[in-house]
Amino acid sequence: MSTQLTNIQPRSQPVDIGDEVATFSPEVEAEVDRHIAKYPVRRSAILPLMFIVQRERGYLDAPGVAYLARRLSLRITDIWEVATFYSMLHMKPIGKYHIQICKTLSCKIMGEGKITEHVCNRLGINPGETTPDGKFTVSLVECLGSCGTAPMFQINFDYHENLTTERVDQILDSLP
Amino acid sequence: MSTEVIKVTINGQEFQVSKGARLIDVCREKGFDIPSFCYYADLALQASCRMCLVRIEKMPKLQTSCTIICTDGMVVTTQGEEIEKAQRSMLEFLLANHPLDCPVCDRGGECELQEMAFDWGGLEERFTERKNYHPEKYLSPMVANDPQRCILCKRCTRVCDEWMGEDAIEAGGRGANTVIGTYGGWLDCSQCGNCIEVCPTGTLLDATYRHQARPWELAQTISTCTYCSDGCQMSLGTRSGELMRIVARDRYVNGHNGEFLCVKGRFGHPFVNHEQRIRTPLIRYKKGGKLIPATWDDAIRHVATALDREADTHGRNAIGVVGSPRITNEANYLLYKFAADLVGTENYTATDVFSLKPFFDNLGGAIATHKQIRYARTILLIGGEPEELQPFTGKQIRQAVRNGGARLVVVNSVPIRLIEQAVQFIHIRPGSEDAAVLAIADRTNNALVARKLGVDNAELDSLHQLIAGAEGDLIILFGGELSAAAQAVVAQMPNFLGSGRRRVLLHPLPLFNNSIGVHDMGLMNGGLSATGMLAEAGRAIRAIYIAGSFLPQQLHGREDALSKLDLLVVQELFETTTTAFADVVLPAASFAEVDGTFTNSGGLVQRVRLSIPPVNQAKADWLITAQLAKELGVNLGFEMSASAIFREIAAKIPAYAGLRYPLLKDESNPIQVKHGSVDRRDLAAELREIKVAVDQLPETGGKITVTPEVGHELFKIGTLTDKVPQFHLLAAGNPRPETVRVSPLYQITVDAAVRRQAAMVGD
Amino acid sequence: MFIGAIGCEPLQLRRIHLENSRSLTVYRQNGGYEAIQQVLSSRSPDDVINEVKKSALRGRGGAGFPTGMKWSFVPKDSPKPKYVVCNADESEPGTFKDRYLMERDPHMLIEGILIAAYALGAKINYIYTRGEYKYLIDIMDQALNEARTAGYLGDRILGSNFSCEIHTHTGAGAYICGEETALLSSLEGMRGHPKMKPPFPAVSGLYACPTVVNNVETLTAVPDIMKMGGEAYQKLGTEKSGGTKLWSVSGHVNRPGVYELPMGYDDMEKFIFEDCQGISNGKKLKAVIPGGSSVYIMRADQITGRDVRMDYEGLVAAGSMVGSGGFIVMDETVDVFESTKNLTEFYKHESCGWCTPCREGTDWLVKVFKRISNGGGRPEDAQLMLDLCDNIEGKSFCPLGDAAAWPIQSAIKRFPEDFKKHLAVNGNS
Repeated sequence: MSTQLTNIQPRSQPVDIGDEVATFSPEVEAEVDRHIAKYPVRRSAILPLMFIVQRERGYLDAPGVAYLARRLSLRITDIWEVATFYSMLHMKPIGKYHIQICKTLSCKIMGEGKITEHVCNRLGINPGETTPDGKFTVSLVECLGSCGTAPMFQINFDYHENLTTERVDQILDSLP
Repeated sequence: MSTEVIKVTINGQEFQVSKGARLIDVCREKGFDIPSFCYYADLALQASCRMCLVRIEKMPKLQTSCTIICTDGMVVTTQGEEIEKAQRSMLEFLLANHPLDCPVCDRGGECELQEMAFDWGGLEERFTERKNYHPEKYLSPMVANDPQRCILCKRCTRVCDEWMGEDAIEAGGRGANTVIGTYGGWLDCSQCGNCIEVCPTGTLLDATYRHQARPWELAQTISTCTYCSDGCQMSLGTRSGELMRIVARDRYVNGHNGEFLCVKGRFGHPFVNHEQRIRTPLIRYKKGGKLIPATWDDAIRHVATALDREADTHGRNAIGVVGSPRITNEANYLLYKFAADLVGTENYTATDVFSLKPFFDNLGGAIATHKQIRYARTILLIGGEPEELQPFTGKQIRQAVRNGGARLVVVNSVPIRLIEQAVQFIHIRPGSEDAAVLAIADRTNNALVARKLGVDNAELDSLHQLIAGAEGDLIILFGGELSAAAQAVVAQMPNFLGSGRRRVLLHPLPLFNNSIGVHDMGLMNGGLSATGMLAEAGRAIRAIYIAGSFLPQQLHGREDALSKLDLLVVQELFETTTTAFADVVLPAASFAEVDGTFTNSGGLVQRVRLSIPPVNQAKADWLITAQLAKELGVNLGFEMSASAIFREIAAKIPAYAGLRYPLLKDESNPIQVKHGSVDRRDLAAELREIKVAVDQLPETGGKITVTPEVGHELFKIGTLTDKVPQFHLLAAGNPRPETVRVSPLYQITVDAAVRRQAAMVGD
Repeated sequence: MFIGAIGCEPLQLRRIHLENSRSLTVYRQNGGYEAIQQVLSSRSPDDVINEVKKSALRGRGGAGFPTGMKWSFVPKDSPKPKYVVCNADESEPGTFKDRYLMERDPHMLIEGILIAAYALGAKINYIYTRGEYKYLIDIMDQALNEARTAGYLGDRILGSNFSCEIHTHTGAGAYICGEETALLSSLEGMRGHPKMKPPFPAVSGLYACPTVVNNVETLTAVPDIMKMGGEAYQKLGTEKSGGTKLWSVSGHVNRPGVYELPMGYDDMEKFIFEDCQGISNGKKLKAVIPGGSSVYIMRADQITGRDVRMDYEGLVAAGSMVGSGGFIVMDETVDVFESTKNLTEFYKHESCGWCTPCREGTDWLVKVFKRISNGGGRPEDAQLMLDLCDNIEGKSFCPLGDAAAWPIQSAIKRFPEDFKKHLAVNGNS
């Protein structure tokens, strides 16, 4: 890594990204500051900050990406190359509730197929798609570390384990 | 690497090897070829392509030879069934998703994947599944991209990061979905095209040269770039008298710049065969009239007669002879001879932006080559902006810091991009560069200088400490901001800053491909400078014979000067503001159409070679001068070839003593001219002069705080780059087009409206 | 879901069922923070490392490297800062033990990291937790706050000269970041690509400084090792594999859960049919993947009547590995072709893409599996897949390539019938 003397001017700034830089409330900025303070190298805070931006903006949109580049003294391309590497970071809009159904072996042999079928039928979409009203996105994801309570899914950050089709209905009904 | 020698056994044979040598290099050196994609000299190691696997005794798994440093007693196998199966399997994996595009891929015929598949691959491709699909697209006006062909060797991302410091192109996604690209899909970078050059497949291709020729149809001629003073070696690809493309690929050329070129060197060539090239000699028979095509004989005779008349009427000194830092040493030498010997005028010069005469007159040490910059321990950059004006120099500085651990100090009024690599950035007020030189030369003025520069005393102390503690090579580079007195002081720095532990080398940053050469040929020793001649036009100067054109900054404020001349004779490629006033215009041949030499900022004298015959009726600049001389009754040697002129240069100019074209034949072993050095001398007069000027500098006032945009110099539209359609797009801000997809029905075109708009943008 | 010890007194799991088990008070009431007190007042850093060496504790994340030896690689006289990084990126399919340790007994992990940091001279330490475990990060942050307030973190801990801080850090969904050098790349803010070894993280790791990366379960064993002594800990297990191990049992058993077993537990058959209460729905055992998806799959007849001891040596002798202890049990209804396809898709999805064989190989293998699944199987496909695996194994940049190859190689070799029936056109394969 090169010595970083001053704020790097954002050079490889893609054309038409627009000039807007996301702004956040003082509380969120304080949260961002707390994360940056944990590390001797600023760039390490990139993942925690990306989650904050994703939470506040819904996904990592262009103003959010610009904000991250500014805050971390990185280039836009640096933000892009990191964000596209990780499954939980989204650079395109995603539904309000992201239903992430575990499809890996233990869940699969314990009935993931039925759960997926039920969820998809009920919402009228296929895995990888979002409902037209933007409320639900369904994804099949890899092992979530809940094999003993399979089958299961994660909605945003909440685990829902030992699923049955009835429980699925209860859970979906309960979401505002 | 040490000089200690160790023993390594390769394929049963024992070898003596330098301790610390890299195994892949050693094997190749000893004649055992090892395939590799991601391994690239002086770039960060990857070990990701896995082509270079070898078997090393006592190590359980096959090892990538690119990451192994030889140790004493190492036993290596690079051949045999196990290794061959590994090599075949890696290629089979790479070819699995690779589309069978060779018939439509511009890289065909010079593709490393093709060659590796032939040399190391298996006979069968077992992949019968569906290949991953990504659409073909443009990443910029210069870079076309087919992501399906990518083998993810990451050479492109590494050169963009490590050579250019731009990090514009990167890998996004994960696993088999990884693609090279950028956020937004449009590269807003310096467009150097190095990513295209190092790409071993047809993933990144030259969008300006798309589907125009096959490499085996092209003749390749090694020559030197015609743009900046870096003097990059390049291979000109020509077909049937047309220059089709310029590359630096190492299969064709191995100059001191490796495979590096910048946007101008690589893409700035369409001017050569451009339709607007002046076709024939032109004569304006009466003032205010039109330029009429004439024969060479008529034109030469017309010029000779007019020059005779001017000399008789107004005296020899009324004739100004102006060379160009753009043309060859041979051409400039003949102009000097023409001026000094034939015409006998004191008024000869060249159209450079700033003179290096004070520097060379006081040079107290050696000039640093670009290789020496790369391996320096300490680098001091005063003024200038290499990243934009001498990109290869910028790259060497950057790699010296990143790969070599060199310490860089930048003294500049602008926060140029290189400050990213600097261990100290002394941010000064605009116009105070001389003060910085004063500070280095004479510490007693620190406090005063600090105030004038607008920095703390501590920063100057830091700088002094850095210099005092420097060991090995300390290289001082300086731009055109320095006054004559400051140049003289810098030129003497090897004498008063050098020591037993520390060698001080100097590297000026002139702007043009032959700025150094034009000085060496003596053209900067004349009386009036270019601006001086323009100021005296119609008075002390009645006639000017110029190769090339006056620069916009020289004509600025003197737009009517040229109209006051009795006679203006111009040798040029294109019609310019200067030719608009010319009485005679003679079509000159470009760098691609002549033999000759350029001398770069590192003092390397390198060959320029004829790749196509002169277009239309153009002639080499030196030939025009020789024919003119002959018409005036002096035979400079009509049968002179460029090499014969160079022989005379070697005989007459001490720095070039003993050189001949055959000695310059191998571009990988360039020769540095010997500028000679002046012993340590008393600089009191210069320092006084600088101090007087420094005293006048203000002690308040703001500084420039914005880093200039990438390309603010590189993309400027000049006479030559004006002829490259894509430069107009770049100068207009590189707008992202509606669609970047490539299809047979649609290509990015420069539509007339954008071009007109672009031409109006800027000063 | 069952969480408890079998065949030994619960050690790592002994506080798991206590009310408010994650609070500092309950931890202290039940033997917590005694070890660090002892260590700070009367043991030197070298002492600690020696004790851990004696314990024969091996990395519980999957690699099984002797922990004491790993710690001893850190150069003591290096002027660079040292780091202890806890690998809580638990993503190996079938593994879910670290989750409950952090959820129910976070202070045990904190104490383990403290002792490790003391031994290695580390001032700042991180718990790299997979992004999906966000609720655990919140729990951990709360526990860290409690510890800080009580003086177990920060300056001059418990009045000693030792100062130390621990931070949580979130991953974002990448299995490869469980590999220690890829974890460090991710922690540095880069893409999660593994780094070249050598240099090893103990010499040049996080920010090119000496770093020790240890799994959660490895670090949580350290306080008990210091309290009972390394030898005593080792004696709980076997000579080469000391202490206890947490096995995450899932699949077709009647009682899935997290089981703490002494190393060398005798034996796997008993474990499945008695402790885990046998195969669910009255079915027959067909296959077991004992150590997380990356280890060789085992046939029932390699377990029943074979006296497979559950430790590192025992499992290798039986034809598999301990790995992370992700114990997946499959009954006769499972088509091993399908289960292997499922795992291959996992590796293709998680491959970081850095090196040719893993990136292209896993992609190719998944495509072959899909084609076969869709009825396009050919007799030569089994040999093709074995050959592709052979071309990946041992040639990739990091162990993920091996991990992708082993399930397929073992599945084809041990369950040929399950493959043949998809490939046979007219009975020839």
